[in-house]
Amino acid sequence: MMKHIIQTSLLLLFSLTMAVAQNQRDVYQVQVDGLGCPFCAYGLEKKFKEFKGIKKITIDIDSGDFRFEYPADNPLTADQVVSQVEKAGYTPKTWTITRADGTVESSDQLAQASDNGNFKTYNMAVSGVCGMCKARIEKTALSVKGVGEAEWSIEENVLVLGLDPELTSKDRVGAAILATGHDVEGKKATDKAYDALPPCCLYRTKSKH
Amino acid sequence: MKRFKGLALVGILLLGSCSPEQKEWQYTELYSLGEARPVGIALIPEGFWISDGDNNRLLKTDRKGVPERFVDSLERPMHIDVVDEVVYVPQYGNDRVGILNQDVLQQTKGPGQLDAPAGVSVRGKTMAIADFYSNKVHYRNEEGKWSTFGEKGNAPGEFLYPTDVQITEEGIWVADAYNHRAQLIDFEGNPLKVMGEDQDINAATGIWVTPKEVFLTDFENDRVWVYNKAGEVIQMLADNIHRPIDLVSEDDNLWIINFRKGELLKYQFEKRKE
Repeated sequence: MMKHIIQTSLLLLFSLTMAVAQNQRDVYQVQVDGLGCPFCAYGLEKKFKEFKGIKKITIDIDSGDFRFEYPADNPLTADQVVSQVEKAGYTPKTWTITRADGTVESSDQLAQASDNGNFKTYNMAVSGVCGMCKARIEKTALSVKGVGEAEWSIEENVLVLGLDPELTSKDRVGAAILATGHDVEGKKATDKAYDALPPCCLYRTKSKH
Repeated sequence: MKRFKGLALVGILLLGSCSPEQKEWQYTELYSLGEARPVGIALIPEGFWISDGDNNRLLKTDRKGVPERFVDSLERPMHIDVVDEVVYVPQYGNDRVGILNQDVLQQTKGPGQLDAPAGVSVRGKTMAIADFYSNKVHYRNEEGKWSTFGEKGNAPGEFLYPTDVQITEEGIWVADAYNHRAQLIDFEGNPLKVMGEDQDINAATGIWVTPKEVFLTDFENDRVWVYNKAGEVIQMLADNIHRPIDLVSEDDNLWIINFRKGELLKYQFEKRKE
């Protein structure tokens, strides 16, 4: 009889522990740059539904704040989250993960202009059409080592680039941007890269906005 | 001869003074929808059904946008339609078309394999669905048979992320959002008309068609275009319009929803103000 009670109690304890573990969730917050319309924002959410078990997804289109919860017993890494945002064609700015045990992981600004005196300034024609294009073009440029300044104008379709010629070149930055689907200085991005852009960014069907 | 010319001039002036008053669509009122982020609007006798995309719900409101009822548990409801008190709700988030009849919400797969349905239209037993990511329009005929029209592209009959549809006796009108135009196709998918390509539209997200006019939202440019059935521009509306996403009219009243600001605008067709 006693043995049966102990066995039942252990089983109950195990079940409770498992239930608590399963109910515990990590909270992920990503700031996404340039979200403009519901079709793009909800598209980002749709992409994240590939992560089975995702819950409580919210998106603030104005601020670009994207938040969701995910089971703590099957945690996502920051790289997985950032890569999923980029795969969907969007540009993550910063991220924070609050794990169920209370630990917090967060990014620095993922790519930002640095202040270095050795920059030379170049202008580069880059095709694009919206705020999401701007975020992607500038972040891609800034992710190239040696680039300290990148400012793209929607109206002019010109990227003003500050770079250290000893560390990189205008061509190298151009190639990185081309790979994201944006035409650069008369060179056409591949159809594959262009077609992967979110609907808002399809600049070849549209004049500037 | 001089006398004849004088008489002709008087005749023209008289004819002019007898012509009907020049009327146009004019902004009259704005109503806040509170925290709602409206995406679709459909007219009912007592007011509207409005889909609230950000909050995953439907609102039933009066004609001033005051909510009387909420329906939750939807996943990104988009451009809705209402026929005989039944609400049809395409849901971008779960690839289903919800059918709300009385208090019961039934989730259906429509033709199956939808990928972000963004707009629905129902007429009699027929139904059309704008399917965003597949770049297709699905159509169910009177016999209940589904057909699929279009593919990704910019030729007539092709679509680039369609977001709204409306069935009329002329065919299926499509808001071909990222081709920045409206299209009319017949019930076998053949292109009949393309309009809006010369207005520099940026994201034609919502369409509403009456016997004489075609209304098209120009989302990013904060405008609504009004065309005749030949595709000629009758008027461009901009007063208080901010990220317009859908619209509906009845007689001389037109209602437009502003997505970003959560607003319902009323325009009226009336004599032009001097």
